[in-house]
Order: sequence, then C-alpha cells, then structure tokens
Amino acid sequence: MASKSEWKIVDVSIDPDSDEKLFFSEHEWSTVEAAAARIIPTDHDPGAREARVIVFIDRYLSGIDFHYAAADGSGFLRMEGEEARVARARTNDFQKMYREGVRELDAIAQRHGASDFVSADEATQDAILVEISGAPKPKHVRLDEHEVFYSRLQGNTDTGKSFFDTLAFHVRQGFYADPVYGGNKGRVGWKVIGFPGPESLKDTMDGTYTTAPYFVEQYDWRELLLEYDGPDTA
Amino acid sequence: MVEKNDPVDVVIVGLGAGGGPAAKVLAEAGYSVVGFDKGPWLRPSEHYSGDELKFQNRSYLWPDVDLMPRTVRSDESSEGRIFNFSPVPSAVGGGTTHMAGWTPRPRPSDFIMRSLHGDIEGASLADWPYRYEHLEPYLTKVEWSYGISGLNGAEIGAGFRSKPYPSGPLPPTKFGAKFYEGCRKLGINAMPLPMSHLTERNELGRKAVNRTSFWNQYGDPTETRSTVATTYIPDALATGNFEVRADTFVREVKVDKNGRATGVVYIAPDGSEHLQEATVVILALGAIESSRLMLLSKSPRFPEGLANDSGLVGKNATFHEYLFAVGLFDREVTDPLNGFTGNYQSGGSMHFYETDHDRGHIGGGIIATTQIGQPINPILPGKPVWGEAAKDADRDYFLHSMKIGMILQDLPQETNRVDLDPTVKDRWGMPVARITNKPHANDTAMSKWQIDKNVEILEAAGAVRTMPVYLGEEFTGNACHQHGTVRMGNDPQKSVLNEWAQAHSVDNLFVLDGSGFATAMGVNPTLTIMAHSWRAADYIANTYLKGRSERLVLEPVSAGN
Repeated sequence: MASKSEWKIVDVSIDPDSDEKLFFSEHEWSTVEAAAARIIPTDHDPGAREARVIVFIDRYLSGIDFHYAAADGSGFLRMEGEEARVARARTNDFQKMYREGVRELDAIAQRHGASDFVSADEATQDAILVEISGAPKPKHVRLDEHEVFYSRLQGNTDTGKSFFDTLAFHVRQGFYADPVYGGNKGRVGWKVIGFPGPESLKDTMDGTYTTAPYFVEQYDWRELLLEYDGPDTA
Repeated sequence: MVEKNDPVDVVIVGLGAGGGPAAKVLAEAGYSVVGFDKGPWLRPSEHYSGDELKFQNRSYLWPDVDLMPRTVRSDESSEGRIFNFSPVPSAVGGGTTHMAGWTPRPRPSDFIMRSLHGDIEGASLADWPYRYEHLEPYLTKVEWSYGISGLNGAEIGAGFRSKPYPSGPLPPTKFGAKFYEGCRKLGINAMPLPMSHLTERNELGRKAVNRTSFWNQYGDPTETRSTVATTYIPDALATGNFEVRADTFVREVKVDKNGRATGVVYIAPDGSEHLQEATVVILALGAIESSRLMLLSKSPRFPEGLANDSGLVGKNATFHEYLFAVGLFDREVTDPLNGFTGNYQSGGSMHFYETDHDRGHIGGGIIATTQIGQPINPILPGKPVWGEAAKDADRDYFLHSMKIGMILQDLPQETNRVDLDPTVKDRWGMPVARITNKPHANDTAMSKWQIDKNVEILEAAGAVRTMPVYLGEEFTGNACHQHGTVRMGNDPQKSVLNEWAQAHSVDNLFVLDGSGFATAMGVNPTLTIMAHSWRAADYIANTYLKGRSERLVLEPVSAGN
C-alpha cells in the first residue's frame, strides 16, 4: 500500500476518437452522448459532441484507472491504499447513478411519446432534461438584470449531486479539462471561450507555457495607484 | 502493542505554515526534532502541474472528505452535516503547497481589539498577549527566508517595517488594471498585495519561471511559489537534526501524572502504533485539528482534554469568510479582462481595514481582485448549467468578468467552536472535528458594507452588471483560515496559552498555528502564523530549553492609539 507520493505512472493514454466502451453499453453511450449534446450544444462553435465528452465520461466511470493524469501527462497514476478504496466506492455509486439515470431518461422520453431519449428530437430532449432536472431550462445571463446572492456550503467535487447535476458537471469537465482525460479534443473547449491553455501538461511544468502576454505589459505603478510615489516598476 | 522510539528533544505535529518555521529554528539551534504529518510528502517537480481537473475537482491535494470528514452545524440543537469545512491539504507543507498566498502583514490594531472596542455584545473580544512590535522582527525574517513579493511603500497606513520586500510583484493583469482604475476614481488606496511567491530578479536568487496562472489550489512544479515543503523543511533537514514522518497520524498527546507532556502516540503508514517521547511537544495542525487532538488527548489530569482547565479548548473559533462581488462587462465595448490570468490576486486594498464607526460595524478586512478561474470552474454566481444559455455565459463572460473579494474578519464568540463529533469517524477510526458556528451581527454588517463597496469599485471600473455575494446564515469555511480555538492570553481562566503559545497548565506543550490568535485579524493569517511560530520557537530554543522562563509585560494601550 504505497503512499500517494509513490503512486506509479501507468503508461496509458486515452484516444478521444475511440468508440471502444470501457463502461457504457452501446445504448448508454449514445444516450449520454445525446444528453451531453443538449447540455453543451453545437452551434457555430463545437459542442460536447465534437469535444468527445462521452469518451471522457466513459473512461472516468470505468474504474479508477483514469482519475489522475501523471503530472506531465505521460500516463495515469495507479491509485493505491485508502484513497483507492474510497475512489472505487464513489465510482461504483456513479456507475449505478448513470445506469439508473439513462433508464429514467428513456422512461420520461416514452411519456413524451418518443421510444427513447436518443430518438427524441432536440426540443423533446430539452423537455426531458427540464423534467429530470426539476427546473426550467436555464435562461441567458443578461446585463440588464439584478440579483443578489449569499454564500452557502458547496464544494468543487462531483459528489452529493443528483444524476442530472452530476451529468451536467461531468459534461462541463469533459468539455474544458485538459485533453489528456479524453474530452476537450484538440482543445476545442478552450478555443470556444478564448482560453489559451497549454499544449500539454508537461509545458506547464518548466515555464514553456506562459500567460505573460495576457497581462498588462506596459505600466507605471505611479499612474495605477493613488498615492504611490516609488519606482515605476518593482 | 505500542512500539517505543528513542526520545527526542522536540516533536512537531503538523508540517504546514505553523510547523515549518519551528522545525527550521529548532533544528538549526541543534535540537533533535521529529516532525509528523498525516499526509504524503510530495515532490513538486514530479507531482505538480497545471491540471485543473486533478487539483480543483478531484481532490489530489484537498483532503478527501470520505477519509477525513468534518461535520458542521449552526447551533447546539442542529444536526452536524458532513462537509469539508475549512479544508487544508493533508501533505507535508500543508496549505502552503497550493494556496494562492496572500501574505499581507497584520496591522498594530489587530493585536488590541478589546482595548480599542471594549466589550461587544455577543462577542468575546480579547487583546493578544503580545503586540505588532513583538512580531515585526519575525515578519521580516519570514519575508526574507520564505520569499514574499510586494511593492515597497505601496501600503498606505502600514505598521513599521524594518526591511523592504525581497521581491517585486507581478505586473498587473488586465482586470487588475480595471480594479486600480475603479479605486483611483473613488479615491481608494490600492496596491499589489504581498504574495508568497517570487518574481524574476528577486533578492533571494530563486528562479521564478511559473507564469502559467495555474495557481490557486495547484501545486507549483517550479520554485516560484514559496512553500514550507520547499523552504523550511529542506532548511531543517540540512542540519541533520530533523526527521520527517509523513503519512503518519498522531492520535494522542501523552502526559504523565503531573500533566506534563511526555510525547505522542502515532499510527504509522502500516497501521502499527508507536510512542515517540520528547522533551517538548509542539502542535501545529491548524486550529481545527490542533484543538481536536487536544480534545482527543484525555487523561486523569485532563479529563476534558489536554491543557483544558479553562474549558476553552475548541471555543472562540474564527474562520474568516471569503465573500465577493462579480462584475460583468460588455464584450462589445470592452477589451478582454483575461480573468484566468495571474497568481490569483492582482490588486488589493487595505483602505477599509481600520474601524470607522460611520460604517456601522467595527473592524475591517483586506480586499482584492482575484482570478475568475480556469475553464471548468470560473466564478459566475447563478451561472446557467446547461443549454445555449450556459454556453453563451462562458463565451460572453469568461474573458469579460472580474471579481473583487474580501476577507471577512469575524468576531470571536464562545459558541463558535470545535468539538468532537459524537458519531462520525475518520480513516483512523477517531472522532472527527465538529464545527458549530453562526455569524455575529457585526460579521453580517461588515459583509454587507464591504461587498457594497466592492460593487461600487466594479461600477467605477466599468462593469455593466454586478453580482454581490453576501455572507449567508452560516460560515462555509471557504477561506480555509482557522484561528482562536486554543486562545492565548495572560489569564489562565480566560485562555489556554500564554504569550509564547505555551500552555498555561502544561509547560512543555506549545501550539504554534493560528489556534492561539485571540482575534481573527483582517488579513490572511499565514504570514502571521509563520512569524508567530518562529517567535515562539526562538523562545523554546533560547530560553525554555535552556531552563529559563521569561514573561512579557505589556503597557496598557494608550488612549487614541
């Protein structure tokens, strides 16, 4: 039982173009892929389908072999010990959640007159997602509205959510995570929103990837700050 | 059952911001020191990179809530819920391995809140048993050995400093420049906040090549970030007097029949139990876990927990809260703000730090504009989660929004506390910390006033829409700051530790993290924790372990101070 500091790197990678299914059945794969395509739809920019979010989710749900990429992206970490035990237990829960979730999507689809979720048209698929999410379809953020918010307990992990919220979160992760995890193919997610992003994880380790050009390059602290009269740079 | 090791001079439990400086000072003074951390000893150049999913969403450094849970509730009568409240990485280096690293100095007023404000109803204000001037030499030592960057002379109203910063700040980001513009328009003094990382051409000769902006919550594979694991731990190891025992859980501090600490019982990685005897026991697990370990360490002399004659261990907990306002800009007329850039913070202010009674609350805190985040987890309150609206929100605002946050200085209250959860256990089978907390009226008022001010700055900077996020009905622990649970003071009835963070009733027990802080300060605590630890370790090395003792006598605070 090795410490996290000694977890070995397994020399594997994920091919985003693969149609091989490590967890999903054929039907589950196409259902989740179709739902993902409504969560981040394709328009004049690529969406979840083109980013191969389905591959990202399938690999994540397949066990614990693809939870953590090696720091330099050269493979994946082989988790061990207690961390591996609880990660495996959570994965089992997710597997069950997705299996039941797909069945529920199909059951709702049938109430909407479709034979299953995949064969429903996009408007019906949206109506099914509205029903399973228990909330109206999200409206656009507008600049002319006002709303106040309050801090509340929430974490950044994917646990403790409903099937739909989990799916929406995993789709987001698959669209925007480093491509090493199988989604965000060709860094399309990053291109859609204007995030430069590194060409590889390795490039983030030695100064190769830099965001310096995205900072203000010409500046004078004496002009930026109200009362400062020291030197103009550091 | 329990295997015994050779005794050492000092054991330190917890190798983060509190334990690191103590390890360095005591090992360099020639004492044999063993340091424990329940987490792994990771190697930055091998284990860290800019992987958002791994560091922000899959808890590679954050504690796994299924292994090390905490529970939280708002009062005595409600049920605790399992939640990762005020999490800090379990790793050698602790929170310093991944934190954004705002490292402003405290102000002289932080040490004398009770003298300045008297008794506030519902709060338990107290002065610290030492003052800014006692800490100043150690703040300087930390800034120059650990590595802090800042702009000399930019903090208007700062306390005395004996030396400038060893490194200049990063250039402003685009959103940082907007923040400065808004502040200037409103007559607010702003500055690049002091940060625990270096920039090029620093005085310490360390390379500072990491400009990836994968910063807050990420480990840094380079030596740009200052961390305990890459500074004080190697310094201590270089003496040959220091040993690290990682992945090792200390479950009890042992005492003899007179109540003096004899050492600690720990669970090794293979599950076996050991006793490590020592002349001095230092706890530095963070204010939640240090108080938990004291409450777990029951003995005939201390039936209510170690050194807990006053019954105050765990009480008067303060956590800060990170609150903010987001501003949305019109992408048709505004150049990109690039909210993904920077080492989290890119411009702050202590303009609202000191009390102004016209605001309707006492105290104040630091504010700063910070990264919106990376693609998976950008901050946009009420963000649509699916469909065209979700995709458009990312396209429209990922590059065209900014955020101004605040560190809420919460007032200490005896009812806000840490105790042992009656049912929930951790991976080692021990009862976990349960946090009980409810904001004081002053906390709520400060949140409202300051967030509204942040909204004004955003508007002055050109935001078309603003989204304030105020303090809710309970703390969320999202600042990951912890203080007050093992309070320092002069009166053993009203405090647990003295001015050296030494237990009143256990002379060879020291608690060297934020646990001793009588009030929360309005700044991020890490720099103060490190200086506080160094100061106490200096006392342990040069006075206590030489068989002497000293007391610090404070003059009363003069009127108008």
